[in-house]
Amino acid sequence: MVGKSGNRLSQAQAAWLLLAPFLITYLLFLVYPFFQGIWISLHDWNLLEVAFNPDAKTFVGFRNYERVMWGRNIEWGLFTAPFWQGLGFVGLALSVFLRRADRLSRFNAIALGVASLLLVVLPGFHPGEEGRWYDRRFWPTVGNTLVFVGLAVPGVTISAMVLAAALNRETKAMGALRTLFFLSQVLSVTVVTLIWQIMFSPRQGLIANITEVLGGTPINWLTDEQFAMAAIVIATIWWSLGVAMILFLAGLQDISREIYEAAALDNARGVKAFWYVTLPNLKRTITLVVVLQIILHFQVFGQAHLMTQGGPNDTTQVLVRYIYQTGFRDSELGRASAMAVFLFLIMGTFSVIQFIAGREKT
Amino acid sequence: MKRGYYWLVLGLSIPAFLWLVPTLWMVSLSFQPNDVLARSTSTTFFGLIPFPFTVENYSALFSFGQTPWWFLNSVIVSLGMTLGILAVSTTAGYALARLDFPGKTAITVICLIGLMVPEQAAFIPLYTMFADFGWHNSYHALILPRMAVPIGVFLMMQFFRAIPKDIEEAARLDGVGWLKIFWYVMLPLARPAMMTLAILTFLYAWNDYLWPLVSAQQRDYFTITLGLASIQSNFAQSEGLGRVMASGVVASLPVVILFLIFQRYVVQAMTLGGSKG
Amino acid sequence: MKHALLTAAAVATLATSAFAQEITLGRFFGACEDAGTDTTASVGEACIIQSIINAADAEIDGVSINTLPTDWGNYYDQIKAAYAGGTPPDVHVMHRHRIPEFAGIGALAEISDDLESVGIDPNDWSENALAAVSYNGGIYGVPMDFHANLWHVNMDIMAEAGLVADGKPVLPSSPEELLEHAQKVKEATGKDYLAADFAQFPIGVRLVLALMWQQNANIFTDDGTATINNDAAKNAVTAITQLFDAGLANPRLNYADSQQAFLNGEAAILVNGTWVVDFYTAEAAKSEVGLDNYYVADFPTLFETGATWADSHMWAIPSTLEGDKKMAALKVLAFINDHNIDWARTGHMAVCTSVVESDAYKSLPHRDEYAGTAAIARDTPPSERYGAIQDVLNRELQAIWLTGKSVDDALSDAEIEVQDLLDR
Repeated sequence: MVGKSGNRLSQAQAAWLLLAPFLITYLLFLVYPFFQGIWISLHDWNLLEVAFNPDAKTFVGFRNYERVMWGRNIEWGLFTAPFWQGLGFVGLALSVFLRRADRLSRFNAIALGVASLLLVVLPGFHPGEEGRWYDRRFWPTVGNTLVFVGLAVPGVTISAMVLAAALNRETKAMGALRTLFFLSQVLSVTVVTLIWQIMFSPRQGLIANITEVLGGTPINWLTDEQFAMAAIVIATIWWSLGVAMILFLAGLQDISREIYEAAALDNARGVKAFWYVTLPNLKRTITLVVVLQIILHFQVFGQAHLMTQGGPNDTTQVLVRYIYQTGFRDSELGRASAMAVFLFLIMGTFSVIQFIAGREKT
Repeated sequence: MKRGYYWLVLGLSIPAFLWLVPTLWMVSLSFQPNDVLARSTSTTFFGLIPFPFTVENYSALFSFGQTPWWFLNSVIVSLGMTLGILAVSTTAGYALARLDFPGKTAITVICLIGLMVPEQAAFIPLYTMFADFGWHNSYHALILPRMAVPIGVFLMMQFFRAIPKDIEEAARLDGVGWLKIFWYVMLPLARPAMMTLAILTFLYAWNDYLWPLVSAQQRDYFTITLGLASIQSNFAQSEGLGRVMASGVVASLPVVILFLIFQRYVVQAMTLGGSKG
Repeated sequence: MKHALLTAAAVATLATSAFAQEITLGRFFGACEDAGTDTTASVGEACIIQSIINAADAEIDGVSINTLPTDWGNYYDQIKAAYAGGTPPDVHVMHRHRIPEFAGIGALAEISDDLESVGIDPNDWSENALAAVSYNGGIYGVPMDFHANLWHVNMDIMAEAGLVADGKPVLPSSPEELLEHAQKVKEATGKDYLAADFAQFPIGVRLVLALMWQQNANIFTDDGTATINNDAAKNAVTAITQLFDAGLANPRLNYADSQQAFLNGEAAILVNGTWVVDFYTAEAAKSEVGLDNYYVADFPTLFETGATWADSHMWAIPSTLEGDKKMAALKVLAFINDHNIDWARTGHMAVCTSVVESDAYKSLPHRDEYAGTAAIARDTPPSERYGAIQDVLNRELQAIWLTGKSVDDALSDAEIEVQDLLDR
C-alpha cells in the first residue's frame, strides 16, 4: 500500500508524511481551541447572543479573571488561616531541614518548599473590612476540588497498592479476584452514579437498609454536608481502582525475586518485606499513579453533577462543573473560559512535576 | 506457606464480594417489578435476590427503549475513536521516535506541551468551533477532539524508542523504504503497545460524559453514557427504578463480557503500558 | 408503535422523512417509552405528554415527530447549546420564566400571526395564559398549563391528630399554628407533619418564596434590586425552620425520598406541585400503598395575602424555522393546544377557558379541592438570570437547614449574590 513510493521518499519526507495526520488534528482540535479559549476569556461573550450575532461580544481584557478570582479590598494576612498557613511553615522548615540533613533529594526539597510556600501565601488572602470576593463561589469550588483530589487520590493509591501486593501471585484464584476488583472500572460514569445514587439513598438504599436492620439510623449520604463528599469519593474509589491496581501489579512484577529472597534471608517477610522491599522499589510506580490520578480527578465532573448536583450547599461543587454551569447555564463563556485557563494552569503544573519527577528517577 | 495462601484468598474474598455487591444489587433490582421497588428495595435479602422476579423491565426496554440505540452509538464512537487514535499515534510516534528530520525536537516539545491541556479546559472553545462549522450532533464531532490528545503519540513514541536499532538498520541495508519499514517491520512489533492504547482509548471513549453532553443534543447521537444520565434523574417521576436499572445492566453487560473475554490482553496490555509509561 | 420502529432503525427515519416532515421535539417531564397514543388513559406527566405527542405523530398528516430525550437537570443547558450550535429542536417546551432569556435575543419565533392558520384561538386562552407567552407585545409560544405548589394531604394522619373538619383538612393560618399542628400530629401519630424536597430541587425555595409573597414582599424588585435580607424573608424562613428545630420535619429528604415518605404514610403533608395529583390519586387507590385517603389543598395563607409559587409550561418554535417545516411545527403546537384537557389530567391547571369551564375538567379528581390556587399563583419578576437566582436561593436555604448557617448570614449572602446576578 505504501511500499512502492516508500523507496523514493527521503527520511524527512517520510517523517512529515507520517506526522501529518496527527499534526493536523492536533493543530485543529487542540492548539487552535486552546488559544481560542484564552481569546474567549478576554471577552464578555454570551453563548446565545454571540451565536445569533457574532458581534455581540466585547473585549474586556483581564476583567473576567478579576471577576472570578479577585475581589474588593482583598488583603493578605499572616494569620488568616492559622492551620493551613502554620502547616505551610512547618513544611518550609521541614524542606530546609531535611535537605540540610540530606534526607531529601533536591527536587523533592524544592517541590515540598514550593508547595509549603503556596500554603503560606494562598490562604492568607481574604476580603478586608467592607470587602468581598467578586465571585464568592470560585475559591470554595477550587477548595472542594482539592478536597476531592486529596481524598480520592490517596484512597485509590493506597487501596490499589495494598490489593496489588496481596494479589501479586499467578494462581487461578488470584486471577479471579483481580478480575473482580477491576470489573467496576469498565462501567461508564453514569452507570456508576446510577448504582451509587440508589446505594446511598436513605430510604431505598442498600446501605440504609442494612443500617436499619442493624438498628442504626440511616445516613442521608448525598444531602448531608458531612457525608456528601465522602459519598462521591467512595463511588470514585470503587470505580477507578482498577487501572491503578494493574499499574501496581506491573510495577511489582518488575521487582526481581532475588531481592525478596535476599530479604527473606534477613527475616523480612510479609508486612516487613512489603515495607522494606516492595515500597522502596515501587517509588516510580507510585509517582506515576499519583500524578495520573491527580490529573484525572482534578477534572471530576460526572459524579458531582449526577449524584449531588454540587450540593448540599455547594459542598460538592467542583471546578469543571462550575465551568460547565457558568458556560452553559449562565451563558457566560468569557468567565467560564477564564476558569478553564485557571484549570489548565493547575493541570500544567502537575504535568511539569510529573515530567521532572519522571526524569529525575531515570 | 500454603496455609497462609488459603487464608489470604479467603481474606480477600470478603472485600471482593463487597466490591461486587453494588453491581449485583443493580442486576437484582433490574429483575424486580417496579411497583414492588417503589415501596421497598429490600424485599428478599436486602433486595440482593430478585424475588419477586420479573423480566418485564427488559422486555419493555427492548420493545420501546432507546437504550439499544444509544449503545450502538457508543460502540461506533468508541471504535471510531480507538481506530483514529491508533492511526495517528502509531504513525506520528514512529516518526518522532525513529526518524531524523529538521525540526524534530521542536515538534516533540510542541506535542509534549499539548499533554498539559486537559480536555475539560478546552471544551468551551471546541464547542463554539464545532458550532461554527455546524458539526454538532454527528459522530465525527464526538470522535475528533479526542484524537488531538497527544498521549497516544507519546506512548507509541516510547515504545518505538525501545526497539533495538539493528532491526531497522538491517532493513535499511536491504534498501527498504521508511514507510515500508514502518508498515511491515515496526507495526507488527508494536502490537502489544497498540493494544494498550486501544484499550485505554476505548475505556475513555465509553466513559466520556462532558463532551457528548455539550455536543450531542439529539437522540440520534446520544451515547449510552449520556442516555443513562438523561433517564436517571427522572426515575422518581414516572419510570420505575427497575427499568432504569435494567438500562444500566444493558449498558454495561457487553463491555463486561468483552472485558472478561479479553481480560488477559487487557491486563497484559496495561502491565506493559505501566512499566513502559 | 411507529415511533418504536423509528427508534430501532435510522433507515426507517430516513425513509419516513421522504414523504413526511420530520419534526424534532424537545421536552422534559421524564421519559415514557410505552405511552401509546391514547391520550385519555395515560398516567403521570411523562406518559400523558408522550401519549399526546404519539397521537400527534399518528394523526397529523404529513408530520412525524422525533422526541429528543432530555433530563430535567440539563434541559436548558442542552437547549441553549442546541440553539447556539444552530440545531435547536423544531418544537420545544419551556417555562414562562425563560422567555426573557430566549426571546430577548431573537431565538424564538413570534407566532401571533401564524396561530389562526393552524386553528389556534388565542382568545380562548385565559388572560394570565396569554400574558405567560407574551413578551414585548408579541406571542412567543402556546401555553399549556399553570402549575403551582400545593399541599398534598394524608387525611388519615390528619384525622388522627384531630385536624379534619367537615371532611376537609384543617390547615394553619399562621406560623404559630403551623408549629402547633405539627406538634399535634407528632403527639398523635409520631409522624412528621410536613415533608418536601428541601435538599436538592428548589421546592424549599418555592415554599419560602410563597411565604414571602404572602407578606407582600419579593426577592427582588422590577428595577433589579435584591431585597432578601429583611424581616419578611426571615419570617418566611423561620416559619419552616421551626419545624426542623422541633424535629417535626426532615430537611434532608430529596424529591424521591420525600415523595416516598408521603406515599408510605409517614408524613401528613407533602409540599409538591400540581404535576403529581393524578399520580398520587392512582397510588392512593392501591391497597399496598401506605397513603389511602388523599386530599389536595391550596397552599394555606400563613401571613396576610394568599400566594403560592406558580409557573407555566409553554411550547415554542425557533425563529429560524421556515416554510413547510414551520407549518408542520405549528400543527404540532395546535394539536397540543387541542389536548389541553388531557394535559390537565396530570393535575395542572388548564389554560383554555373552554376547557376550564367544561364538565370534564371540573370532574377531574380532587380538582375542586384546589380551585383556589389559580387566584393565588405568583412568581418572581422576570429575569434573564432566573435559573442562577433560584440556584443561589437554593444553596443559601440549604445552608440554613442542612448545614446550620445562621439565617442572617445566609440571607445577607443570598442578597449579595442575587444582586451580583442582577447587575451582571
